[in-house]
Amino acid sequence: MRKTFLIFAFFIAIISSVPGQGLGGPGTIKDDGRFAASTKQLNQFFRRFNGEESVDGNTRFYPGDSLYQTPALRKGFLSILFDNQTSSITPEVKQKFTQFVLSDVYPHYLNFHREGWYAEVDTEFIFKGKREKVTLIMKIQAERLGFEWVIDQVIFEPFKNLFNKPVGESKDFLHPLSHELGFMNLRRAFQDSKLPESFTPNSYKPDYLSVFLYEMKQNNLRFDTVTGVKFHFFQINGWYFEVNQFNRPGFNTGWLISNLVQLGPGDKETILKYIYDQD
Amino acid sequence: MKNKLILFLGLFLSVSLAAFAQDNISPARKQAIDSLALEKVKDLSKYIAIIGSKETQFSEANRVMDRAEELFAPGAEMGVSSINTNEIAYYKVRNYFERLMALNYDRVNITWYDIQYISDLERQPDGRYVGVITIYQRFEGTSIETGMNYRDTTKKDITIYVEKKQTQIAGRTIEFWDVMLGDVRVTETSA
Repeated sequence: MRKTFLIFAFFIAIISSVPGQGLGGPGTIKDDGRFAASTKQLNQFFRRFNGEESVDGNTRFYPGDSLYQTPALRKGFLSILFDNQTSSITPEVKQKFTQFVLSDVYPHYLNFHREGWYAEVDTEFIFKGKREKVTLIMKIQAERLGFEWVIDQVIFEPFKNLFNKPVGESKDFLHPLSHELGFMNLRRAFQDSKLPESFTPNSYKPDYLSVFLYEMKQNNLRFDTVTGVKFHFFQINGWYFEVNQFNRPGFNTGWLISNLVQLGPGDKETILKYIYDQD
Repeated sequence: MKNKLILFLGLFLSVSLAAFAQDNISPARKQAIDSLALEKVKDLSKYIAIIGSKETQFSEANRVMDRAEELFAPGAEMGVSSINTNEIAYYKVRNYFERLMALNYDRVNITWYDIQYISDLERQPDGRYVGVITIYQRFEGTSIETGMNYRDTTKKDITIYVEKKQTQIAGRTIEFWDVMLGDVRVTETSA
């Protein structure tokens, strides 16, 4: 696998020295192959994963083109799509994944418009005058004539302790004959209790996104900046992987797979719950 | 009546589909749009080099800034981050150019790597297409007095908006694809 990576990275470096269209001309600096090898955009990650562009990235392959999604091209690309410097993905798992994805009978591809991939965006907001970290979980959805990114969930520490529904003996309640008194004891729930969430059903789950939007509308939350982005993929049946951006010297840079897990029964739900709740 | 309704609906659907198909971008059309977008990026690169150069007169730099601003869709911003901080600093395009012009170097040299990457075009809800062009820039600044030398290489991810427009030429309606630049993400690289 490491050998294939080196050969392919070297091949890209050589190919990229052939001038194409673009900014070239006198005064331009020759890339030594590092930028050519880098997976510069997530779009390139998709194209490389699927084998839908030339080795130098200058030609987009479409259905009907002789090299479109060919296993040899995909195999070469897949070898350079892993973070080979810091991740702890074993060569065996990589190989198993590659074999699964490149299966002769049923090859697997990524699809930009299909469900099953999410962006995790780390941001900073000013909340009531204090700088706070906020994580947004985002996904692509169809909308009118095209597509858009939408916020699916928000993870915000100050909200976590906002709704602490007590359990067991410490949980207050409205007794089962409250209705006979015209619910006059609601006073207890809304005035005396500091934990009104005690009076919610077992199925109650706070909707943090709505609270977040409400706070923003009240001018209590002000966006400041984005501090990081990564992507979670569940599109390859039975596998989960994470894609991160690596900005470092060398040829193994850009958007790369930093975490890869073969999923057993129930694993997908567990990982999704972790991503969405971060508990 | 029912048959008429079905016929009408069928006709309506086929017209809608035809209109939709017309708006799809073929590979050949995409290539032409890519070239047009690259021309605009080339113009931007040229303008940035002029604005950043200490040899450029103030009035000339202002004129070039106007030209450069015209390449962008209204409200476009530059989001800049360095290796030391992941935080993005946001600047309006004009403000970014003005900061570039005000840099305290006696000699400024801005050059571009011979590599770029052009994404697919994706359609957004309003029907316009959006894409991203990635290029790499090297900046070198020298201060004669202090002898200080500053050099960095940045990756620039430039948004492009692609829209089909119409114009009247000699009484005839001509359709064409227009490209505008949008937000630019500037990231310092370790190169």
